[in-house]
Amino acid sequence: MSQPRSSYAVGTGLFIVLGFAALAYLATQTSSVANVHQGDSYTIDAQFTNIGQLKERAPVKIAGVRVGQVQSIALTPGHDVADVKMSIDKRYDQIPQDSVATIFTSGLLGDQYVGIDYGTAKQVVAAGGTLARTKSTQPLEEMLGKFFGAGGVVDNVGGSYTVTADFTNVGTLSVGAPVKMAGVVIGSVQAVRVDPVKLNARVVLAIDKRYNQIPDDSAAAVFTSGLIGSQYVAIQPGGSPDALKNGDEMILTQSAMQLEDLIGKFLVNGSPGDKKDAGADKK
Amino acid sequence: MTDPVHAAPDDSTLVRIRGLTTVLGGKTIFDALDMDIARGKITSIMGPSGTGKTTLLKHITGQMRADAGTIVVDGKNVAALSRDQLYKLREGIGYLFQNSALLTDFDVFENVAFPLRQHTKLPEVLIRNLVLMKLQAVGLRGAARLLPNELSGGMMRRVALARAIVFDPKLILYDEPFVGLDPVALNQVLKLILTLNQTLGITSVVVSHELAAVQRIADRVMLLSNGKVVAQGDPKSIADDGSPWTRQFFGGEADGPIPFRYPAGDYATELGLAGVGK
Amino acid sequence: MSARLRKRNNAVLQSLAQIGACALFLLTLLAAIPRSFRYFRETSRQLWFVGAMSLTIIMVCGLFVGMVLMLQLYHVLSIFGGTSASGMVVALSVYRELGPVVTALLFAGRAGTAITAEIGLMRATDQISAMEMMAVDPIAYVATPRFLAGLIAMPLLCCVFCAMAIFGGHLVGVTWLGIDNGTFWANMTAVVDVRTDIVNGVLLKSLAFGAVVSLIAVFQGFTTPATSEGVAYATTRTVVASSIAILALDFVLTAFLM
Repeated sequence: MSQPRSSYAVGTGLFIVLGFAALAYLATQTSSVANVHQGDSYTIDAQFTNIGQLKERAPVKIAGVRVGQVQSIALTPGHDVADVKMSIDKRYDQIPQDSVATIFTSGLLGDQYVGIDYGTAKQVVAAGGTLARTKSTQPLEEMLGKFFGAGGVVDNVGGSYTVTADFTNVGTLSVGAPVKMAGVVIGSVQAVRVDPVKLNARVVLAIDKRYNQIPDDSAAAVFTSGLIGSQYVAIQPGGSPDALKNGDEMILTQSAMQLEDLIGKFLVNGSPGDKKDAGADKK
Repeated sequence: MTDPVHAAPDDSTLVRIRGLTTVLGGKTIFDALDMDIARGKITSIMGPSGTGKTTLLKHITGQMRADAGTIVVDGKNVAALSRDQLYKLREGIGYLFQNSALLTDFDVFENVAFPLRQHTKLPEVLIRNLVLMKLQAVGLRGAARLLPNELSGGMMRRVALARAIVFDPKLILYDEPFVGLDPVALNQVLKLILTLNQTLGITSVVVSHELAAVQRIADRVMLLSNGKVVAQGDPKSIADDGSPWTRQFFGGEADGPIPFRYPAGDYATELGLAGVGK
Repeated sequence: MSARLRKRNNAVLQSLAQIGACALFLLTLLAAIPRSFRYFRETSRQLWFVGAMSLTIIMVCGLFVGMVLMLQLYHVLSIFGGTSASGMVVALSVYRELGPVVTALLFAGRAGTAITAEIGLMRATDQISAMEMMAVDPIAYVATPRFLAGLIAMPLLCCVFCAMAIFGGHLVGVTWLGIDNGTFWANMTAVVDVRTDIVNGVLLKSLAFGAVVSLIAVFQGFTTPATSEGVAYATTRTVVASSIAILALDFVLTAFLM
């Protein structure tokens, strides 16, 4: 008790040092200091037709290594292209002029970033210069569409013919959805409307002229790609010698399955409700 | 004496109170109170509990503002002082609290040194010597490193006294200094008050209601009741002045001018008996 | 019916009066800052009481919060095969919400009540009046140093809390559940941002919480009736008012800062 002052002072000092040490630890060990590190850098421009979800301060990477960040995003006056200014670390000042700037997505659902692929030109892009060659972001829908073979959704160039099919339930089928046979896209849904007399859904399918050998007793079904994917119309070929012609109606249809019904069936092995609803057409 | 605010500090009166009026929570504590406290003397303010003796001390030190009236301490009108001036004035006033009010965080030495550390930049050696001198005066130099909770009530009051005199004040206000002390401690405190007054010439105001103790030290006694000074004089004669106030207070009668009952409405009405008899 | 209504109106008015008085008290506190510079020693002494003395509880609680958070996240994320992200989620949730809020709640319970009780007792035993009599301004000597100490201590305590939580998460995730050490840190450093997470999340929030908690604690201590019941009541009120203020302010700050 004789010298309380000095023990307070030491304890308080220790406390402050510990607090700041913890702060330094948080700031340096658990976060990327590079996120704020604004060392010497230079700015280059790139124009994109679509920047998707790219945000300011998004990383700029070369070969996957972070070399800078997006400084600003603005619409180029008078054009419908986005002007993206990127600040690049001074250490990486050897970027060839014909390099390609691409907007990538990290992973399937991650944030977007700008990736630069080196070109072969001798000249390097100068500070304030522009990367002329860019690849814009690819909307996920488009990418998935390509992936699942739904590219060129409404390919009417080659000409198509239309057939109709009636469903008691089309689920969430929408105009433009693909029509597939054997998993290959052969056309698209042109219209979905309610038949005023039969009170069911009448779907107009536009099918590519190349596929004019589809038997007229083929069945049309509304399917779902994957568990939570979008819906499409699948055509299962029948055995009739006659082919479908423009304006024909497909007799055999199978309506969309409601997820609730499916789960209900799965759980209680069928319930009275789904008989009149989902399975009616096919039977 | 018509304009006390501008009255020159005269030699014989240190504290002059004129027309002091205070109302607290609807109750009139002081009603145009006039009082003079003589310089260099021990003045005792007596009165029953609840007459505002402590409130009067707080008015003198400027801790509470009065509703009307003036208090002039050493030629300065307390109510008109700025904060800094008031603090300056308080440095010249010692105040002994009823419950000693030692700072519980500090030991005895630091408690006595506290005013010095706050208001001076004296070197540590000098502070040490000053504090030890004051502690020696109250006989507690050996207890310098004890904490307040290790002291008895009498010791705490003596430490508080040492703290009150550390700046050699002109005026010391004692708020109930004899309450809760055993006879030995009481005599020690009495002796200290007397010594301080006689050797240093410090003006002392002792608020108390213990006549026997007051009679042994006071030069002058004022009896306070119902917001006014109802009697004053020297301690030997005041009890014999024959007024009903002094007779009741010093004789210890239960009822008299100082009422036994707290003011209330009609008893019968409150019990619901009014009109029953008719 | 109308009596109950009047009672409720009274309660509302009283709360409003409390808030107003608290705000005015804050102005008094701030005005006293220049005067309390000479009591620098007192401020550092209070820093010891409210800061250093709260370290143990903060560190232990931080450790356990990090550990339990990691345990919970691991089990949820393992459903999606995303356990490698658990370190990052621990870091983000601790920096942005749990760190400042839990530290402030603990701080209110540990240091806030101590401040209220101490000041209340100082008033009950006339120590505050004694200071006034010794020409020492109690606001500058007692109130402002405690307020400033709380203001300084909270961000530091919060940093310690967060560091301990990360450590706890690492302990459970990497040492016990077998998440890869490199993945743990890499995912965390990739996502945690110094400005939005550490400066805005940890530092700014805890600074605001520290100000609010120590203001409420000092205010309650200075305004409660100077009796033992008054002190007990004020201590409870410090915890209740601080907790409400912390959570409400947290929402406002999150809405503004994020």
